[in-house]
Amino acid sequence: MGSIESLYDKIKNFTAQFFGGKGFSSTMTGYTTAELQASVFLLVLASLFRIFSVPLGIILVIAAIAGVIVFAPLIVTLERENESDLNRVLFWVVIYFAIIIAVTMWGR
Amino acid sequence: MSAVATNLWTIPLFVIIPIITAILLNLLYNKSRTIKVIAIASSIVLFVLALISPYGFQWFTGQPGVTPGGTYTFDASIFSYRLSLEYYFGGLQQILITIMSLLLVFVVFLSASSLRKNIGPYIALIFLLFMSSAIIIMVNDFYHLWIGVEMGSLLLAGVVAASGESISQKAALKYTFFSALSGAGMAIALAMILGVTGYSNITNAIQYIMSDNLSSLSGVLYIAFGFFVLSWIYAGGLAPIHPLKSDVYGSAFPHATVMLQTQSKLMIVAMGLIILRLFGTLPFAREVMLSVSVLTMIMGVTMALIQTDLRWTLAYLVVAHSGLVTLGISLGTVQGITGGLFQAVNDIVYMSVLLICCEAVMYFGKGTSIKTVGGIAKRAPWLALAVVIGAFAASGVPPFNGFQSEIILIQASLSSGLPEVAAIVLMVSVTTFIALFKPIYNIFLKPDNSPIAMEGDAGAGIATMAMVQPTSPVPKSIYLFLAILIAIIIVLGVYPQLALGFVQDTAIKVVYFPWVP
Amino acid sequence: MIELTLQFLSFMASALLILIGIAGMLFLDNLIKKIIAFTLLSDGVNLALVSLGYFEGGVVAILTPGTSVAEFPQNAVLIFGPGIVLTNIVIGVSTTAVLVALTMVLYKRYGTLKASKVLKGERK
Repeated sequence: MGSIESLYDKIKNFTAQFFGGKGFSSTMTGYTTAELQASVFLLVLASLFRIFSVPLGIILVIAAIAGVIVFAPLIVTLERENESDLNRVLFWVVIYFAIIIAVTMWGR
Repeated sequence: MSAVATNLWTIPLFVIIPIITAILLNLLYNKSRTIKVIAIASSIVLFVLALISPYGFQWFTGQPGVTPGGTYTFDASIFSYRLSLEYYFGGLQQILITIMSLLLVFVVFLSASSLRKNIGPYIALIFLLFMSSAIIIMVNDFYHLWIGVEMGSLLLAGVVAASGESISQKAALKYTFFSALSGAGMAIALAMILGVTGYSNITNAIQYIMSDNLSSLSGVLYIAFGFFVLSWIYAGGLAPIHPLKSDVYGSAFPHATVMLQTQSKLMIVAMGLIILRLFGTLPFAREVMLSVSVLTMIMGVTMALIQTDLRWTLAYLVVAHSGLVTLGISLGTVQGITGGLFQAVNDIVYMSVLLICCEAVMYFGKGTSIKTVGGIAKRAPWLALAVVIGAFAASGVPPFNGFQSEIILIQASLSSGLPEVAAIVLMVSVTTFIALFKPIYNIFLKPDNSPIAMEGDAGAGIATMAMVQPTSPVPKSIYLFLAILIAIIIVLGVYPQLALGFVQDTAIKVVYFPWVP
Repeated sequence: MIELTLQFLSFMASALLILIGIAGMLFLDNLIKKIIAFTLLSDGVNLALVSLGYFEGGVVAILTPGTSVAEFPQNAVLIFGPGIVLTNIVIGVSTTAVLVALTMVLYKRYGTLKASKVLKGERK
């Protein structure tokens, strides 16, 4: 019981976060939609890993659900990581490049 | 494949005419009437040239291919050592260059009528942008590909910085830093492929990779692939460079963004096809490309949702829809590539409609932020109709062209066994609708309840320096351009075979005969 | 055991230059220093391209009156590398010019060269 209640509380608090202040504005609706979109996208992305192995996909989907609930609101993180700061983008590019090389080398 | 004519007379003209026009415009500098006449005349010449040009090759130095037997051949389907750098003009090139030159006419007209100073160099930059895109889409050798990408990125920086706001100068500087990085990467990739195969001609390099056992050298190929993908990501503004690319799109003038997004779509298509042809047989090559495209779509469309300025919403949507194009290409099937290429054609057209509408909104003098503008539909009902049609086309509503390509993409990903990707494509088109209708509702449909235009407060969205006076009426020419583009949207939406005929041939060649350009 | 040939050493030198360049672009805050790091990077690439075609006892790939036509193809170094280097130098110069010009404009606007101040995101 306890765990279900706390999950419910978490979700309720999470939705309430968006409607604090002066209700909703055209900016806030965008953020709410983007938050929902981002979490759904994350779940779909996690489920894509089934093309490598099905158990991995299931584990990742469960992990993604947990992550979405724990780390909500995601959109704040997403917006921060999407800043056009030169060093931040450079950092992400280096990470991407490393992953691309690692994955293709591993595939060999 | 039926193209046997070599040293086609039209191909050099796609490069020479823009260069000569650019030099002339630069010399004229500020004589706006003469500049306008010359620029529009030469862009119309380019449009006609793209329409009437036959298909064929341009072999630099004019040599034919040398067959292994030592004889010469002009037939592209026969195996031969090309010896030279080459351009190819086929169906894909024809439709993309035709649309690009049509847009060039519009962009030149718009910039000539809205800009006040430095008009000559600015339009010269736009012509050179056209030239670099034409080179990239026609190219069949690494050397020109590299030069085209480098030139394109420097020209892009120039066009963006020309809008004179601090944010655009910053965006240009950041993007140029990346051009330095990815240009170096591409040079290394080039060197690696040259070192392994010994050919600068892509056809010959692919034949060499396919026919010779390269297992001892495959590590070199993997690293070359990584660098190639890096510069592909950079040129198309795919994730993770999308924040910089959307900065570029959002801070340039909207009419310049029309040309910039066309250029980046052409780069994505050309480089994506070359990567697929060269490295398509490597394990995980397609998966890497697919993951980059999926991430681009997700990031672009999610970031588009939280923007409060039509200009920035469009900037992120352009990025997200580049992801749709690359998705089709990275699926690697005939259907997928057809869908991706068709999506590129459609995307260029409907995004141009939306961007030109955005430019028209600026003529009302309050910028494009949803906080400052309102009630435009009452003052310009036809503009509202155009932007709604553009939004419908972008979000894949049936009678318009976006629907036709998105349904091909969905079918292609379903038949490749990737229903999740199909779901993501669907979600992207629905989210596009939501992201676009927030600014459209606020700017066009909601009554204008802000009595005074806050000039200083409008942020990055407002046209400040070089644009025309606020509240001047929207030029009639904008409506004409919108009408033409909407006609294309509807025609392609009702009769997609018109464009599919051009791109299907390329898709078949890439999958089954990757060495044929 | 890897043999320490001249080619291998120059590849290592170019890798070092490229790494220094990337690290400089990532970690240095001054815009001019970033640009210098970029020039190091492009020099590293040029060195890699030149050493690609090198081999022991190779001759420059220009047919001079003294050389025999029959032996020339075996002795000449790979010509693509130097060819690309020439273009890369031109591209590097024009990129540097654009970078420096934009830096100048931004310096006039902000009065500082710190990337963390000049290039901070400015949106909404």
